[in-house]
Amino acid sequence: MIEGATWRRWVFFYVPLTSFVVLLLFPFYWMVITTLRPDRELYRPWNSVNYNPFWTWHPTLSHIRDLLTQTLFTTWLMNTMIIALSATAISLFCGLLGGYALSRLQFRFAGLLGTAIFITYLVPQTLLFIPLADIIRNFHLGDSRWALILTYPTFLIPFCTWLMMGYFKSIPKELEECARIDGAARWKAMVYIIFPIAIPGILSAGIFAFTLSWNEFLYALVFLSSPGEKTVPVGVTSELIRGDVFYWGELMAGALLGSIPVAFVYSFFVEHYVASVTGSVKG
Amino acid sequence: MSFTTVAAARPYVGAPRRGPLTRLLEDERWLGGLLLLPTVVLLGLFIAYPFVKGVMLSVTDARVGVPGHFVGLQNFEEVWNDSIFRIAVWNTCVYTLVATAFKLALGLWLAVLLNRHFRGKAITRAFILLPFIVPTVLSTLAWKWMFDPTFSVINWILFHLDLIHSRINWLGEPNLALISVIIVNVWRGLPFYAITLLAGLQTISPELHEAAAIDGARAWQRFRHVTWPLLLPVTLVVTLFSVIQTFADFQLVYVLTGGGPANATQLFATYAYQIGIGTGLLSQGATISLAVFPVLLLVVIFQLFYIRRVETH
Amino acid sequence: MAGINRRRLLQLSGAGMVAAGSGGLAAILAASRAPAYAQATTVHWLRWSDFVPASDALLHNQIAPECEKALGIKLNIEMVNANDIQARVTSAVQSGAGPDVILALNNWPQLYTDSLVDVSDVAEKLGAEQGGYYPISKAVATVGDKWIGVPWCVGGGLVAYRKSWFAEIGYDKFPDTWDKLQAAGKTLKAKGRPFGQALSHSFGDPPGFWYPWLWSWGGKEVDTDGKTVALDSPETLQSVKAAVPFWNEACDSGGLAWDDSSNNRAFLSGSICATNNGASIYLEAKRKPDTYQTEKGTPMYLDIAHAPLPKGPGGQFNLPGPFTNMLMGYSKQQKAAKEVILWVNSKPIFEQWFTSQQGYTDGATRYWEKDAVWNKDPVLLPFRDIPIEGRLMGYAGPPGRASAEAQTKYIIVDMYAKAVQGTAPQDAVKWAQGELVKVYT
Repeated sequence: MIEGATWRRWVFFYVPLTSFVVLLLFPFYWMVITTLRPDRELYRPWNSVNYNPFWTWHPTLSHIRDLLTQTLFTTWLMNTMIIALSATAISLFCGLLGGYALSRLQFRFAGLLGTAIFITYLVPQTLLFIPLADIIRNFHLGDSRWALILTYPTFLIPFCTWLMMGYFKSIPKELEECARIDGAARWKAMVYIIFPIAIPGILSAGIFAFTLSWNEFLYALVFLSSPGEKTVPVGVTSELIRGDVFYWGELMAGALLGSIPVAFVYSFFVEHYVASVTGSVKG
Repeated sequence: MSFTTVAAARPYVGAPRRGPLTRLLEDERWLGGLLLLPTVVLLGLFIAYPFVKGVMLSVTDARVGVPGHFVGLQNFEEVWNDSIFRIAVWNTCVYTLVATAFKLALGLWLAVLLNRHFRGKAITRAFILLPFIVPTVLSTLAWKWMFDPTFSVINWILFHLDLIHSRINWLGEPNLALISVIIVNVWRGLPFYAITLLAGLQTISPELHEAAAIDGARAWQRFRHVTWPLLLPVTLVVTLFSVIQTFADFQLVYVLTGGGPANATQLFATYAYQIGIGTGLLSQGATISLAVFPVLLLVVIFQLFYIRRVETH
Repeated sequence: MAGINRRRLLQLSGAGMVAAGSGGLAAILAASRAPAYAQATTVHWLRWSDFVPASDALLHNQIAPECEKALGIKLNIEMVNANDIQARVTSAVQSGAGPDVILALNNWPQLYTDSLVDVSDVAEKLGAEQGGYYPISKAVATVGDKWIGVPWCVGGGLVAYRKSWFAEIGYDKFPDTWDKLQAAGKTLKAKGRPFGQALSHSFGDPPGFWYPWLWSWGGKEVDTDGKTVALDSPETLQSVKAAVPFWNEACDSGGLAWDDSSNNRAFLSGSICATNNGASIYLEAKRKPDTYQTEKGTPMYLDIAHAPLPKGPGGQFNLPGPFTNMLMGYSKQQKAAKEVILWVNSKPIFEQWFTSQQGYTDGATRYWEKDAVWNKDPVLLPFRDIPIEGRLMGYAGPPGRASAEAQTKYIIVDMYAKAVQGTAPQDAVKWAQGELVKVYT
């Protein structure tokens, strides 16, 4: 809330915001240019005369075309999408229920369980993936999406749970009690009254979970092996990094095509961040 | 507790009859257990059990394919005497502290900026998440090229702004390499802080701000006394999780520098991977992964107490 | 077999093996190309994404179908980034399931000896047929007399250099001693064209240069008993002392941050005059003559030649990269896998793959020295002789598990990296010696 002179608006708002946006998105601009650059220009050192990092006069779509036609990129994109959506759904489900239980119900092991869930987050993936491979094999989940859909929640649920706990705690207890006085069952009060209020938190947790699933590399590398099952990070790096030759144009195309569509989708959900909350939480 | 008073005051007239299942669901203990069941099952199966196996690995001399014998704490002793391990721990601490401080400060600032109405708000908020969305493996490759001594676009910019006269070897000088790695981590994590804190800011009723403004509080005072305390719970949770994740960061450093030059950017996760997978010494890899676990646990417990304290205010 | 009806047998036999419509079992017995296996057997082969994409395409599109026709075995080939192979091996061995055959680099088979199948029968047969294996290929694939892997090929590095630039300053052949290279490099660096070498934590190029550097001064990691660490010696100290001026005067200092692909890019962009590398630089330049040009506008590949690493007081050496196919102990298709390995290494089949490599790799047996591929391009001919004179990590001991650990920890490479960045040479050597001792005990 910056009232007052226009200069204040510029100094305290527009300039900082623009700086942030530029610094955060500059690498993406650079990736776009690299994707469109012909190979000839990709290999010019920075102090050569005609080096121009920000523009190319000979844009080419060949890298994008090669990525889409000569690799299984679209398949990988779909795999990653399905896996990320499923893992997010599971994590949100568990996180929502668990967060509610831990923050608004009283039972003996609440504190202990809460801490235990949290501690599982401390165990690094680089340690877990080896014994996990064993379990995956025991359940015959090897080389299938389910291996990832079931293992990704392991690093997503703790955060979702705690985030939801945080949001739930800021909602006054009186809300449920009023509902129960009116005769509503406890679980109905939970689903119909509390959950809708926590929607910003749910969206935030959902975005977090989806992004981390989208991004994950190690488990995807180890548990999947058929080219048609791979996810974007694993597929792109295994196809486009061959020994000591990197196919930069295609790699950057893969990075862009593997992230910009997701950002587009997010822009729809971000709308719902509007504080529809404030009205209903009044005591 | 108000709950019991409410329960006692529940009228008998009009109360619906409840079957045994519903009664069960009303009981806090049962409902709590039921709600936590899926979580417990998933985490128990896919973390607790492998974790125990991992701990068992660290107290044997197992290698790949060789179960090995029990050796007690010998691995931990060896690892502690390993100079590379100590460098890795130091690097990890510096990396985590500095990156988190920047992510928090900048993330908060950005969240405050995004909390206003302006044109293109939705698109901006979504697109600044891009660094967080793009697979780390790929964005780190892009950064690698941006830092590359022969091709660095950053060097080009600085050179043309007359700020430097010869190139900067971002990833080749030990201190610069650590700074570069921190820069990429902050770049990647900042949007996440911003968006989560933004959601937190959104739950703070604007009327509180208005009331404070009417009482004559200026912007900074409003922030300190209204915004910050209400935001603290979310901030603490986000920071805690981010600290843990940054501490265990692997992919970013592995792709950018491989731990070099001469271990200047070696983190304990990259070192554990290098040893466990690269040389097949699984027990040592597990030991390195677990060696910092007690430290993390202490940090976490400390912060959890702090969170509880803040909440009971 | 009681209870299996005709339809079920048809299902079990898989498509194409039984004539549709005619009687089940009878058809199988009568078919002239009777399959060796009643069920479709699949052998899963995990390899690295080959630098030469044409070779991978060949494997998928030609060799795999041919295998199915010739042996009745379905060959499922998977490619991953070389860096990721070890993670796959580790999880496969620990969980007891995964690819049947895995292509290993360097001396990785020595890390997994307990989990590999004895393939002496296959290896000895191939070795006998093809003129014997190179000592380095054998060293990484055997434990004593037992073969734990079947060598596939050998990759190696030579110095790729710009002929015209060296000719301009008076060298019509590549400098053959370190002193000469340092002098030439100094002149060229002053012109903005230094020698380029990685001195970082990258698993290919740094060891490929710095181990031979160590050896060429007479230094070594361990004694011939394979246990006593002998790094701390006057020769090693001399090699470290000499590395500092060599680096500062002749090399691109960016090399401290380079990965395996950086020198390729630097060379192809005309920033460095020479670098130790596989044939990938030349082959890439040849593949795209319009993209990679000299400053005069001519295709760069015409200006590239290869030479061995220069001589030092202790000799002249190189560090090749052997590739070995490991047959995993958990595999349920061991018999079929052995057949596949035998078949794919056989002269007519391997020939196809070898030709597609255009000289990037050598065969693992001496037979391939005479292959026609070496006559195609004289620039690549020097690669043929790499395996003969190669040495492996862990010299003078065997290239066993400890040497792999030393390499993974970049002990030797870091010794030079520290010295070049200001650590006193004696301290760098002492540090490396200490680290090696820990590894070898």
